[in-house]
Amino acid sequence: MIKYWSVVLLLSLTLAAHADEVSVVVSHSGANAKSVLDLSGFKQSDGTAEKLFRQTLENDLKRSGWFTIASEGKKGAYAVKGTCRQAGRNLAVGCLVDNVLNNSTIMDKSYNSESTQARKLAHAAADDIVFAIKKVKGMASTRIAFAGKRQGAKPNVFICDADGENMMQITRDNAICRFITWTPDAASILYTGYVGGYPDVYMINLSSYQKKNVASYPGINAGAVLSPAGGRMAIVLSKDGNPDVYLTDASGKNPKRIVRTPFASEASPSWSPDGEQIVFVSDKSGSPHLYIVGSDGADPKRVTWKGNEDVSPEWGPNGKIVYTSRRQGKYQICVLDVATKKEDQLTGDWVDHEDPSWAPDGRHIVCSQTSNYHSDLYILDTLGDPAVRLTTSPGEWYSPSWSSK
Amino acid sequence: MKLNGNLRVVVVAVCICGLAATSGCKWFRRTPPKSGEQVETPLSVENPPMGERTAEGELVKDLNLQNVQFAYDSFQITDSEVSKIKAVADYLQANPNTYVVNEGHCDERGTAEYNISLGENRAQAVRAYLIGLKVDGSRIQTKSFGKDKPLIEGHNEAAWSKNRRVEFMVYK
Repeated sequence: MIKYWSVVLLLSLTLAAHADEVSVVVSHSGANAKSVLDLSGFKQSDGTAEKLFRQTLENDLKRSGWFTIASEGKKGAYAVKGTCRQAGRNLAVGCLVDNVLNNSTIMDKSYNSESTQARKLAHAAADDIVFAIKKVKGMASTRIAFAGKRQGAKPNVFICDADGENMMQITRDNAICRFITWTPDAASILYTGYVGGYPDVYMINLSSYQKKNVASYPGINAGAVLSPAGGRMAIVLSKDGNPDVYLTDASGKNPKRIVRTPFASEASPSWSPDGEQIVFVSDKSGSPHLYIVGSDGADPKRVTWKGNEDVSPEWGPNGKIVYTSRRQGKYQICVLDVATKKEDQLTGDWVDHEDPSWAPDGRHIVCSQTSNYHSDLYILDTLGDPAVRLTTSPGEWYSPSWSSK
Repeated sequence: MKLNGNLRVVVVAVCICGLAATSGCKWFRRTPPKSGEQVETPLSVENPPMGERTAEGELVKDLNLQNVQFAYDSFQITDSEVSKIKAVADYLQANPNTYVVNEGHCDERGTAEYNISLGENRAQAVRAYLIGLKVDGSRIQTKSFGKDKPLIEGHNEAAWSKNRRVEFMVYK
């Protein structure tokens, strides 16, 4: 916090000194301080692809949460300059970022691809700009996988870009599907589907769309998630009498039970970023709460105490666990900082929120939001920007998972 | 203190009863058929492990098996439901070439994730009961649908109570 305030102070002083040239530098204060970006020096020719690139870039920079875009005629703390031109079938982009205050260039990159890839190119440029200025990972190039059904249709697995565009159905199961996770290389998706009648785990590759069964033990096969290094899989199985957490190898073989509670159920394992620990749900206290256990099964400890029910944890790359907690009768999204044990409640509106998943920027979260028996996906900002609706197609959308890259 | 054999059994029994009384319904949720019902109580109240899945054969229709109903957020088998499970046990014993899949379901309240577990627990509780009634465990599979396959669409107790159920799918 002190750091942010000193930045604001410094910028205010600079502001006073450059009052003529720089009209607004920081539009919010505190943790949600936004740098003002001047995009007026970025010029594109008049084609469809070039305009799409520009529009996508600007939208991505806004959605990143770190910037406000300087209005026309005003300057910012940073200036994005460059060009976007169609050259034959290709789009050629040059992109510079200047730090206006100390008059230095902090990024100078060029991008080139077929003009059909204008959006993808813009996402790459947006993430580079975020990194150049804020030194954090962006989210524009990432994707979100989720389950759902179009109006009147049966459930399947879908993916879309982080801005909600390019929504695609990737299964033809037409059967209940839930518990979607990405493989660490972001090349495949794991999910529980009833395509063979039982709740079994499948892996679908996003290049070939080939699907393979990875777990079909008797009873339920749910919540499968690969370890960060990819060699092991945590999964909930009930083959030995009631739902417990197991570890298998990456192909679903050799299950070994790591949490054994004969009179309680376990659910939703999620790995710590270093792969040393697993957070999961257990109702052994009488209602579901979060526990952390060593990935060898050692020393399970309860870590949430405030909600009536605490479910659907996901351990983020920032070391924080996002989960759903039942507070005053509604399901809200909460964040637990494992190191400090500090809990924050992110949502408080009178609707249900479920299945949160971290963006790789460690700032945003996707979750489902249900009101009047209708579910859509929303993106939440842990630093306080308003929630943004992700899904716009008519239907029911739930169980989202954000890719790691 | 040294206890003789019989006394030790009594002490252990008293301890178990005490535990059962203090831990409320939790302990009883997996309790197999009560004594005095001509059913031998299994040694453990822990659910028995599942056998391998059998490839689904032909569904036996028109058996008129009734769904086992449950209280909200519970997988305890109540007295009113016992006769329904006995009817299934009787059928399975009279028809040795059949097997059953207990399909566990929940009402729409609560998260999808929690309900998958609850539905599985309901299916497994009925499985344990059937095994207590001398049905071979290898003939009973479980399948939880959580809240994803309601019997009755509706957002009221009338629909919810019908949806909290285990359905019996018998195959041959």
